Amino acid sequence: MFLVNLEKTLGRYSLFLGRVSAILLLLLLVNVFYDVLMRYAFNDVSIAMQELEWHLYSAIFLLGIPFGIQVGSHVRVDLFYERVTLRQKAWIDLIGTLVFLMPFVLLVGWYGIGFAHEAYALGETSGDPGGLPARWIIKSVIPVAFFSMAVSGLAMILRCINALRGVSDAGFDTQSPQH
Amino acid sequence: MIGIIMFFVALVLLLFGFPVAFTFGGVALIFGVFAEGMDMFAFMPFRIQSYMENTVMMAVPLFIFMGIVLQKTQLAEQLLEAMGKLFGSVRGGLAISTILVGTLLAASTGVVGASVVAMGLISLPVMMKYKYSKSLACGTICASGTLGQIIPPSIILIILGDVLGIPVGDLFHAALLPGFVLIGAYIVYILIVTWLNPEAAPAIPHDESMGSRKEQVLDALKAIVPPLALVLIVLGSIFTGIATPTESSALGGVGAVILSLLYRQFSFKMLIDSATETVKVTAMVFAILMGATAFSMAFSYTGGDAIVEEVLLNLPGEKWGFIILSMVAILVLGFFIDFVEIAFIIVPILAPVADMLGINMVWFAILIAMNLQTSFLTPPFGFSLFYLKGVAPSSIRTMDIYRGVVPFILLQIAVLISILLFPDFYGMG
Amino acid sequence: ADGKVYRLTMAETWNANFPIFGDAPRNMARIADEMSGGRLKITIDSANKHKAPLGVFDLVRSGQYDMGHSASYYWKGKVPNTLYFTTMPFGMTTPEQYGWFYYGGGQSLMNKVYEPFGLLSFPGGNTGNQMGGWFQKEINSVEDLQGLKMRIPGFAGEVLAKLGAKPTNIASGELFTALERRTIDALEWVGPSLDLRMGFHKIAPYYYTGWHEPATELQFLVNARTWKKLPDDLREILRTAMRVSSYDMYIQSYHESAENWATMKQEFPDIQVKTFPESVMKAMYKANQELLAEKASEDPLAKEILDSQAEYLAKARVWTNISDRAYLDSLDNLED
Ligand code: NA
Ligand code: NA
Repeated sequence: MFLVNLEKTLGRYSLFLGRVSAILLLLLLVNVFYDVLMRYAFNDVSIAMQELEWHLYSAIFLLGIPFGIQVGSHVRVDLFYERVTLRQKAWIDLIGTLVFLMPFVLLVGWYGIGFAHEAYALGETSGDPGGLPARWIIKSVIPVAFFSMAVSGLAMILRCINALRGVSDAGFDTQSPQH
Repeated sequence: MIGIIMFFVALVLLLFGFPVAFTFGGVALIFGVFAEGMDMFAFMPFRIQSYMENTVMMAVPLFIFMGIVLQKTQLAEQLLEAMGKLFGSVRGGLAISTILVGTLLAASTGVVGASVVAMGLISLPVMMKYKYSKSLACGTICASGTLGQIIPPSIILIILGDVLGIPVGDLFHAALLPGFVLIGAYIVYILIVTWLNPEAAPAIPHDESMGSRKEQVLDALKAIVPPLALVLIVLGSIFTGIATPTESSALGGVGAVILSLLYRQFSFKMLIDSATETVKVTAMVFAILMGATAFSMAFSYTGGDAIVEEVLLNLPGEKWGFIILSMVAILVLGFFIDFVEIAFIIVPILAPVADMLGINMVWFAILIAMNLQTSFLTPPFGFSLFYLKGVAPSSIRTMDIYRGVVPFILLQIAVLISILLFPDFYGMG
Repeated sequence: ADGKVYRLTMAETWNANFPIFGDAPRNMARIADEMSGGRLKITIDSANKHKAPLGVFDLVRSGQYDMGHSASYYWKGKVPNTLYFTTMPFGMTTPEQYGWFYYGGGQSLMNKVYEPFGLLSFPGGNTGNQMGGWFQKEINSVEDLQGLKMRIPGFAGEVLAKLGAKPTNIASGELFTALERRTIDALEWVGPSLDLRMGFHKIAPYYYTGWHEPATELQFLVNARTWKKLPDDLREILRTAMRVSSYDMYIQSYHESAENWATMKQEFPDIQVKTFPESVMKAMYKANQELLAEKASEDPLAKEILDSQAEYLAKARVWTNISDRAYLDSLDNLED
């Protein structure tokens, strides 16, 4: 039961990131619309607002990836996967997560820390007049996102273990979300 | 050599069905660390940053959002159904409508991920509803979604212009006719298929409730107006200089929300749900890009790029042999390395030879662009195929998509050959 | 000297096969290799391989690469004082600036800026005077700059912003469409050699002469640990190779610009070449001096660099006037 609860708790964290991303997306729409309107109608351009566009856009896709792992929206080649039993799927996901996903996201996350820290230590800002300060904030989204992917990966491992122990098959009946 | 082995290992491992993005990332990690050590991955944050600062890619979430709102408010469905009805008894009407909508999207973006996904969201459910053959529907969407590569504005043409030293405007101009011929070829193909096999793309069934022909036309017009207005906003804002192509995708998103208000389909729940769906799909697209960039990093830092260079340097030095072999080489490489790499690494090796042989560089550039567009469709590593799979309902299998794109790949090759043989017709003699 | 072969890696900001800019590091590597009898081997990775055109500073600092080829002003957001070692609006011409770098204290000031970051920076080739950019409308007065939407990054953008212009960010892939459709009114790129490749001459009528980048100097970056590891003779060879290839790039740029200008005038006689009127130049100069005074008041090292540049410029310009300018002026109207 502990593992099932832990899996749910970790899952809630990823869902929270999805919610954050969704709100950032709506802000991005408003941001770009505002910039176009100001430039065209009022002949006014703000470099800071223009830079905010890519800050928002990159936070959306980076924070969205751990959310995507949680809700199973990452695309698979299913020539084989769709034909196997639930237990076999759980094995594939378990091994895939341990061998591919976890090492990859942890290593990138680890180098992401140094990357963001460098920007913090230098006090890096935008090089353009009126641009956004504190580049370390957006750069630190990289390690945050990749360690969050590891959290989602951990939830996936638990999900596979729970499925293999036969205590819960949650997550395997809802692969590939529908639109 | 490691790069080649890595490629085949990834190919086999992908078949197990673990998510594509992380299979790429994991394989890159294992081979990269084995050959070069962990430190290679210190490059990853820089590679990720290059996507973060690439504001052209911002069109991906924004167009996806527009597509999802149009889908959730059923405005897209009404548009496609109306267009399908307008074509009346013509079978394949929905597929042709899809191609036309894809053309309009292509004229506002050059980002394949944005087009394929938006099209997958807008037209796949409708074609499924009317019992289209899965593979025909998927092939049509993938192919229409890659039109953005050849129809200006197009990223690949801009990059090729830069690499080959040809003004971008000249390439945009030269790409128009080949683009339209390609679209024409798609439509003719749909007509032939539906004539040979009516089951593949049934006409929208006629029933009494649909009223007279005149009423149908009126209904169709009514349904076309809102999405058409949206298209006009998107294209019009680019054309009049109100917005850049990327910004126009945000205007499209805002416009879709306004339409939902006008048609009383708006709710905050719909807005948040659409945003959440958009995040899922966007994350899927970018996760693949993250995995692929790790993969291409491992490929080039373990010497893969050197091998490719060597092969190309041994191409024959006589006009037709050179052109045919270089086209084949690009097509084959397109199976597994991305088009930016091809443009920057391969093209500069070929360009001086082409120049020496007196080949018209604009013509050469269009041939390459057409060829690279095809590489988005070629299994197993065609990005369009992954993107569509990512948004398709689970009843659509990978095999349906693979089967569906084959005829379109052949069509593209046919058009490519026609440009090769009849440059005068295309104004590039 | 020992027979050991030193293999260095270098990251350049440019994409593979980028003309002129990319030739400088390749010449450097070739010269170093030959002078050292093969003991110094430098391999160059382009931006399309490392994907970090504006990350070269970090890549060399962390030791991922031993060397870099880039431009100092790109690091302005990381280390503000790096701004002054590329070119400055209304600043020195190329020979004047080389005089400052090699004999007027410029190199040691550059060392002072880069040393704390474990880096060495050397001049890396000069483009010569860059053009002021492509404009959709004529600039006849300072009022014409009001609300002018221009793609002009960095310090020069700051100068124009002070006069009411609106520096605008546009992705390079969308620049052509943006200028053609008048989403922006103007943009600056490089000069005839690279501008014509972008096709701007087909969509904007006015090509203004330069004011903001009179002598753009590129840069060789070297990781200090790498430098320390090299034996004395290889250091000297490297230093010489960098200096020779930089000088060569300046000459190559000069040659290519002359060629391209001739071609451009011949093939596109409709391009209207303009110089900003005196009133506009004066306003820009004033804004520039005010901004420089601000920078100098904020940071003592910035003040030291700016004072050194101003002093050197004052002295060198007198000589430029009496030598080159007097010579050129005296040639005017000879044919009448
Ligand atoms: Na396009
Ligand atoms: Na492919």
